Amino acid sequence: MKRRFSALTIVALLGLVALPFAAACKKKAPTTAPEARPPVTSKPAETPVAPPPKPAPSTDIESQDITNLDIESLNKKGYLNDAFFDFDQSDLREDARSTLATDAQWLKKHPSVQVLIEGHCDERGTAAYNLALGDRRANAAKEYLVSLGIDASRIKTISYGKERPFCTESSESCWQKNRRAHLVITAK
Amino acid sequence: MRFRFAAAAASLALAAVRASAQAPPPQQTPSADEIQIVIKGGGERRLAVAVPTLYAPGTAALQAKVVDPFTGTLRSDLEYAGSFAIADPAHYPTGSHDPTTPEEAARWLGTGAEVLVDTRGEVVGDRVSVEARVWDLKSRKLILGRKYSGGATYVDRIAHTLANDLVKYFTGKPGLFLSTILCVVEQGGTKEVAALDFDGRNVRTLTAHKSISISPSAGGGRVAYTSYVRLFPQIWTMGLDGGDKREISTGLELNASPSLSADGSQIAFAGSAKGNTDIYTIAAGGGTAHRLTTSRALEASPAWSPDGRRILYTSDLTGTPQIYVMDAEGTGSRRVTFAGNWNDEGSWSPDASHIAFACRNEGDFNICVMDMSSGQTIQITSDGSNSHPTFSADGQKVVYASRRNGSTQIYTVDVNGQNRRQLTQGANHLQPFWVP
Repeated sequence: MKRRFSALTIVALLGLVALPFAAACKKKAPTTAPEARPPVTSKPAETPVAPPPKPAPSTDIESQDITNLDIESLNKKGYLNDAFFDFDQSDLREDARSTLATDAQWLKKHPSVQVLIEGHCDERGTAAYNLALGDRRANAAKEYLVSLGIDASRIKTISYGKERPFCTESSESCWQKNRRAHLVITAK
Repeated sequence: MRFRFAAAAASLALAAVRASAQAPPPQQTPSADEIQIVIKGGGERRLAVAVPTLYAPGTAALQAKVVDPFTGTLRSDLEYAGSFAIADPAHYPTGSHDPTTPEEAARWLGTGAEVLVDTRGEVVGDRVSVEARVWDLKSRKLILGRKYSGGATYVDRIAHTLANDLVKYFTGKPGLFLSTILCVVEQGGTKEVAALDFDGRNVRTLTAHKSISISPSAGGGRVAYTSYVRLFPQIWTMGLDGGDKREISTGLELNASPSLSADGSQIAFAGSAKGNTDIYTIAAGGGTAHRLTTSRALEASPAWSPDGRRILYTSDLTGTPQIYVMDAEGTGSRRVTFAGNWNDEGSWSPDASHIAFACRNEGDFNICVMDMSSGQTIQITSDGSNSHPTFSADGQKVVYASRRNGSTQIYTVDVNGQNRRQLTQGANHLQPFWVP
């Protein structure tokens, strides 16, 4: 319990520090963790420190300690989930909106995190058209995150069209895996 | 008087296309909405040619190193050209070749040939010289005489040069036998731009970005392509040998499917801002990108007309991807394809009279060829999923990629759907572009 609290505190404090930092320097995130605490106010400590409050009741979103994870490990943890699309569509389905809403909450709790949204397509159709379609998908996901309050400067987009598929079989289950906006953390 | 097969041979293939496309429609539907499927056309006249073995007395080693490759290449080139038929070598007479007497000419006419291509070679050190004499057997006149020389290690190129001269002489069109086809080779998760000879030999990789490098096109002796080597896709240019690579900054996202104008001065490409892809142009040497299309629809796959005045492109303005044409300033846009629910990757014939494109109604993609003045369209493939067609410099053939059994390879086919050839094997070969 105690450990969990301290981790939460660090993340919360980090967020406070990182916000102006991130605004000043969009790409770089602080790499020093505990040292980056804000200076303590000069009030002398007269009363004993109250016991720490109990952690807030767990919600559907938990704040994870990401300070000690490198970018690669962060992406493997699966904190951010991908939005999936129908064939030849870039409109966000209900399941995609719900996934992105969860992603947005996590991003709000980790305001220094920067993401790259990759637009992907299945193998059907021409390569050139799919590049443009992937671009639409990545931007549709970005726009939705921005509409949920995520700063547009934290999100970059790229389209891979059908050039870098997740799955290479010619089946609908495989195609569905490839029709996605894939969220990648690029800075924490 | 020169023997001229020219007019007939030059227009034969396209004439066959027109003839088959002009079959009267059963009902009154717009011709542009119909695609005729022509796979086994035929009936065009081929000039019968006798091509005896290169006469070069010498050792067996010489035979294997020079004589066989030269003769084999010359025969194979002429067969591939589509305008010639090689008279059966089994029936060739032995002895003197010069058909200057009625008796000698009759011996050759007996093989079914109308023309004799007589070649004599001489090897000195590592050099080969070949003297070619072309005889019209009916008039017993020498109609072409040329001498070629080059290294013994590339006698096939001497044969290609002679074959080019024969095609040019008899059809008036440029020969394709020294032409280059660009493509993308997929290996181990990377895609590199490569070049190969017209017959699929001599594959050489032009990029080593170890990334995704795609969509090569050529013009004015340069190649343009899109590469992800800097993470975000950018346009690059390079020489036809892969040298002198330059990055072009457009200030836009996507930067896909770049098309070099014929003189190499301009690049048209699909650029994107905020998820809306439009057609842009930019000077090949770099500069400011100009936006040509302004709709909220998706635009992609631009292709310069050979005279640089028009641009073919794809738009999903009406809900499905269809091909449009506009002038180089972005005005005068007009829809070109109406049949099928997916038409993309348009490219021009050298005289701009026809376009080839990837077409689909249901199922797999095929290659279609459309007469731009009448809108009449024929489908020239039927197997596999076919994409990315471009014309040969003589306008008689189309190179394209076909995916069959999970493997994508490059094929060429005559514009009437005949004479199909697979050029590549092994690793996936994609997005071919026949260098004009």
